[in-house]
Amino acid sequence: MDLLLLKIALVAYLAAAVGSSLHVLSLTSAARRIGTAGLAVAFVAHGASIVLRSLATGYPAVTTEYEALSFFAWITVGVYLGVQVRYHLPAVGAVMAPLAFTVTLASFAFYAGVRELPPNLRSAWLPIHVAVAFLGNAVLALAFCVSLVYLVRERQLKTKRIGGLASRLPSLEALDALNYRALAWGFPLLTLGIVTGSLFAKHTWGRFWSWDEREIFSLVTWLVYAGLLEGRMVVGWRGRRAATVTIVGFALVFMSFVFGHVIFPGKHGGSFD
Amino acid sequence: MARGLCIVGVNHRTAPVALRERLAFPASGLPAALAELKAVPGVQEAAIVSTCNRVEVVTGTSVPAAMVAAGVESFFVRVRELERSAFAPHLYVHHGRDAVRHLFRVAASLDSMVVGEPQILGQMKNQYVAAAAAGTSGPVLHKAFHRAFTVAKRVRTETAIASKSVSVASVAAALTGTIFETLEDKTVMLVGAGKMSQLVARHLQARGSGDIMVTTRTFDHAVALAREFGGLPVPFERLAEYLKHADIVIGSAGAVDHLVGPQLVQDVLRARKQRPMFFIDLAVPRNFDPAINDLDNVYVYDMDDLARTSADNTGEREREAARAEAIVDDEVERFGRWLAGLDVVPTIVALREKVETIRKAELEKALASLQDAAPRHRALLDALTSSIVNKILHAPLASLKREGAADDPDLAASVRRLFDLRVQERSTTNGSGESE
Repeated sequence: MDLLLLKIALVAYLAAAVGSSLHVLSLTSAARRIGTAGLAVAFVAHGASIVLRSLATGYPAVTTEYEALSFFAWITVGVYLGVQVRYHLPAVGAVMAPLAFTVTLASFAFYAGVRELPPNLRSAWLPIHVAVAFLGNAVLALAFCVSLVYLVRERQLKTKRIGGLASRLPSLEALDALNYRALAWGFPLLTLGIVTGSLFAKHTWGRFWSWDEREIFSLVTWLVYAGLLEGRMVVGWRGRRAATVTIVGFALVFMSFVFGHVIFPGKHGGSFD
Repeated sequence: MARGLCIVGVNHRTAPVALRERLAFPASGLPAALAELKAVPGVQEAAIVSTCNRVEVVTGTSVPAAMVAAGVESFFVRVRELERSAFAPHLYVHHGRDAVRHLFRVAASLDSMVVGEPQILGQMKNQYVAAAAAGTSGPVLHKAFHRAFTVAKRVRTETAIASKSVSVASVAAALTGTIFETLEDKTVMLVGAGKMSQLVARHLQARGSGDIMVTTRTFDHAVALAREFGGLPVPFERLAEYLKHADIVIGSAGAVDHLVGPQLVQDVLRARKQRPMFFIDLAVPRNFDPAINDLDNVYVYDMDDLARTSADNTGEREREAARAEAIVDDEVERFGRWLAGLDVVPTIVALREKVETIRKAELEKALASLQDAAPRHRALLDALTSSIVNKILHAPLASLKREGAADDPDLAASVRRLFDLRVQERSTTNGSGESE
């Protein structure tokens, strides 16, 4: 059942990706509605799938590679849908929906049946750490999408190829402001994710920090975002430079996420054995 | 060759802004340039139309177009100190009917970068007045320009082309919305007091822009303009100092060199913590170094860029354009008739006079040898010769009136050559003598 719901979500993500891309290209409102509705349907189906799986396993379904990727896609879409209520951002959706589709599709590659959770991970720290860390990643994913749109928009303006003034990409100022806001939320969450992670580690393995690959990756990522925040607040970085660093930072988040499991199998999610 | 118009020039389609700004004539330079033009062989009358988007030499001439073009090229080489090869490939030459059509289309803003914008008409009027004051315009240019202004008025009132157009000013204002989310907390700075830049400022104020600063070379002018906009006048020499407060900078100052370069903007950006700036350059030559656009968080748009951006035309606008072209055709036709009549009427008069003079002279001679002729016979001889002359002249005069005014502008010239007629230049310049 959870798998069927996930497949429904996957199809809806694809529809949303096509719809929102078409909207950016043609500015037809029907395409925009398909984009938004597709994401909403996908979010509900995907959420139901995660809940069902969690009920089946008896613990939050966020620990295996499959579960982690799937949960990441879901919470990212949730953050986007929340922000979308306040800001009118179909262009960002055109980046977000394909991303959600790809990540969810990738999670299938790791799909495995329900697995027993090692007893030492059964802790209240698990849902806390995971919720905080994933929420942080989702907000940073939003910042990434916003930055991509910013770079496209900035390129258009610099090369003086505006695709008609009717083009409904948000203004550079709005994109940059949203990027800053996402960073202002994402960075503390990222920090909190690392802190709760190390508390969880202390609880489970008796050490706060063990220099495993995942931890090193997280530290590097944290340093990049810390540098970006410092640059923005103190030096006055903004615009293209801030967008570029945001993209680099998220690339690290994403890499640590995807490859952290596969290339450097450590103690982290999915490779507890 | 009959008299007619010949236009040699460049516009935004044939030449880049970098060349147009080299060729352009500021108002102060017009009298000297016009005097030089009048000396070009074959040029009987001359005017210059010089705007941001075009530099055109309009001549009244009786010599072939190629000769005028060669003369105007040499003129540009001389007064603009340019290699012929630098601009000659960008020149166009219109003569006769095409030249009239071109002049009318320019005045009616059908040839403009942004079709239907009203600024061109005022500029042309001023530049025609300059030619009249310099004494280089004559009956042909006088008539041509006045008809052109009439065409512009007809196109404006009889078609909707102006209201359907997206003006450069509104395009510039709309572009600010792609950079800035809101204009309320943004400061606009006017550098120079060009009509177009005032128009952009009005558009921005209509979109709720915040403070406005005005700087012009003459401080009094800046004060007056600032009062008009409810803004702050800034002394021209302190432009660099105040630049850091401006989010949107509109340039329309007459200047040979760039007023603002990348180094200055880099310093300004540091002072304003990289907050974005938008430079709108409406001046030709340009006020802002295009290299500024390479800096982060700064966007520079010149006239060419704005025009390209506004190139989204609707079908409705094209229909209106077709109606405008019909008006132009109509007026070109009328002007052609007038121009032909310009040569025909004096030719007819001269032909009549010449034949009459011959008749009178021969009649006198004959009567002198017939001393005892009765008054009745004298009257008979007079009537006889008159009748012969009129009968002979009837066909050529009718043909001149008919053909000369319509399809064959060279007929009058041929007649003058055949009969060795000297036609004196008609001094009537006030639009009289329209032959219809």
